Amino acid sequence: MSSHPLACAAVLTLLLTSGCRDREITAYRAPKDPVPPAQPATPASGQLPPDHPPIGGSAEGNRANTAVPTGGDSLTWTAPVAWTAMPDRPMRKATFAVKGTDGTTADLSITSFPGDTGGLLANFNRWRGQIGLPPLAENLLAANSEHRDANGLHVEIADFTGTANGAPTRLIGAVVPHGGETWFFKLMGPEAIVAQEKTAFLEFLRTVRPR
Amino acid sequence: MPPIIRQFRDFFVSLKLTVVLLALSIILIFWATLAQVQLGIWGVQEKFFHTLFVLGKIPGTDLPVPVFPGGYFLGGLLLINLLAAHIYRFRLEWKKTGIQLTHLGLILLLLGELITSLLQVESNMRIEEGGTQHYSESYRNNELAISDTTNPGYNEVVAIPEAVLSDGGAIQHPKLPFQIRIRDYYPNAALHMRAAPLPEFATSMAGSANGAGSRPEQNSGQIQGGQQAATGPVATTGLGPRIVVTPLRLTYKQDERNAPAAHLELVGPEGSLGTWLVSPVLNAPQTFTYAGRTWEITLRFKRHYHPFTITLLDFAHDKYPGTEIPKNFSSRIRLRTDDARQDREVLIYMNNPLRHAGLTFYQASFEQGDKVSILQVVRNPGWVLPYVSCILMGLGLLVQFGIHLTGFVRQRSTAS
Repeated sequence: MSSHPLACAAVLTLLLTSGCRDREITAYRAPKDPVPPAQPATPASGQLPPDHPPIGGSAEGNRANTAVPTGGDSLTWTAPVAWTAMPDRPMRKATFAVKGTDGTTADLSITSFPGDTGGLLANFNRWRGQIGLPPLAENLLAANSEHRDANGLHVEIADFTGTANGAPTRLIGAVVPHGGETWFFKLMGPEAIVAQEKTAFLEFLRTVRPR
Repeated sequence: MPPIIRQFRDFFVSLKLTVVLLALSIILIFWATLAQVQLGIWGVQEKFFHTLFVLGKIPGTDLPVPVFPGGYFLGGLLLINLLAAHIYRFRLEWKKTGIQLTHLGLILLLLGELITSLLQVESNMRIEEGGTQHYSESYRNNELAISDTTNPGYNEVVAIPEAVLSDGGAIQHPKLPFQIRIRDYYPNAALHMRAAPLPEFATSMAGSANGAGSRPEQNSGQIQGGQQAATGPVATTGLGPRIVVTPLRLTYKQDERNAPAAHLELVGPEGSLGTWLVSPVLNAPQTFTYAGRTWEITLRFKRHYHPFTITLLDFAHDKYPGTEIPKNFSSRIRLRTDDARQDREVLIYMNNPLRHAGLTFYQASFEQGDKVSILQVVRNPGWVLPYVSCILMGLGLLVQFGIHLTGFVRQRSTAS
């Protein structure tokens, strides 16, 4: 019987220490995080073998399998080989640099957020605000959006041209609701590049499919 | 023996108490099973089992009141009941050896569950093929990590659990030359990009991490997107000025995580250094310099650093020929301890975990076209107890039935 108080004390100590564990501030020396390996880079055309067919354009055969499904994410896609996959950035599922012939670059971002994120009109107006355009009225929404169905997904596409930093800037974006989330595919950059890549971007949207 | 003590003894050694506790346990398990539809497995464990009482709320108020005994209460009383009865009725007779052993096994089983529920730590280790990892991450707990990254060889980290952030107030740590003031905290929140940073803060973003603020945008200065923005102070530096925080309800679903967010003001002796928005959703730390040193601030999944590294040499996802049906998942890894005493290759596959340094590594999941393996890392100081208790109970039953069988055979032979 004499071991009773000891046993009680042991159980109590266990309970107390486990309760404190979740609130303990710790200080320690940790090794540096390894630099994340770059996304598989698409080869530049100059690195291709001489007998390799030219790359670029929008043909299905010219797409690299650069689909990058992230953990728990519900959509996958296949980007053209001419686009360069960029390293991870905060809040983005993926980023591609789309280079023009004159050396300038447009930015393709893929993001997703829970819920309807305020609806289609609010998101289109958010994009319009980014290129200095006034908000659209609700009755003009249908005239400024194009609906497509692809791979069981409903895709709403907008194409706006405005200015950013005084330069003509074009934004083509797609809003894709799926699995309780809203996905945004936004190609934005100098007007000339975005115009040149519009066909490729629309083809790219056709490759977006549920996992 | 004083009557009061006798009453206590009679209560705790009573078989009626055992029956009542077992009946209540059945109700608790049934109720929790139904509740799992709404709460998910984590929520049910927290609400029904890892608690002394199941709490309900008085209708119309937020006041919690106990409505039913919880897992700790019933399990604890069962353990006391079993121990008390065991000690009280203990007779050193070899005929009862089997019963004693069986009860001892049962006591160990209950103790093992208590130790597991209190001390078990689970985390995930995510490794890309060819990559090396020296820490695992919790998938439910978060921490605020403030690191002095000035030294090129290592980081000096101060890790503050999310539970401390949820208290609000201010935090002062001897290793930090500034105070952390928690301006607001959301246990689960969605982050949305603003159309543009607030104009007055646009210049302060120049030093922010990751280049996310690198593209200048039009200054609409308004929260757009139709979201109901969180009230409270707004971040003044780092990524925060570009982001709107929308509080969300806590989720208990098994396949979802809560993503907390907080606005933190760092205050040095000269005054405020700025207010940062932190959230695991931001993925990467935000960098700033203070007192001649470089710092990183991030709210991340709680990390557990280990005194060894694991390199993923190869992840295999085998399928039955001609089908997409998985046959085998396995990770071939290289384990290297920091003291260089061990450097070996191990194959981890289903039901064949790696056990090292008190940790067990299970093949749990994979990502990115079979290029990333996710290992579940479990530290459970009581993992051996269920095995010991099952052996004891099995042995006890075998001995007890053996004694009866021997007696029975002897009686028959005497009779004949």
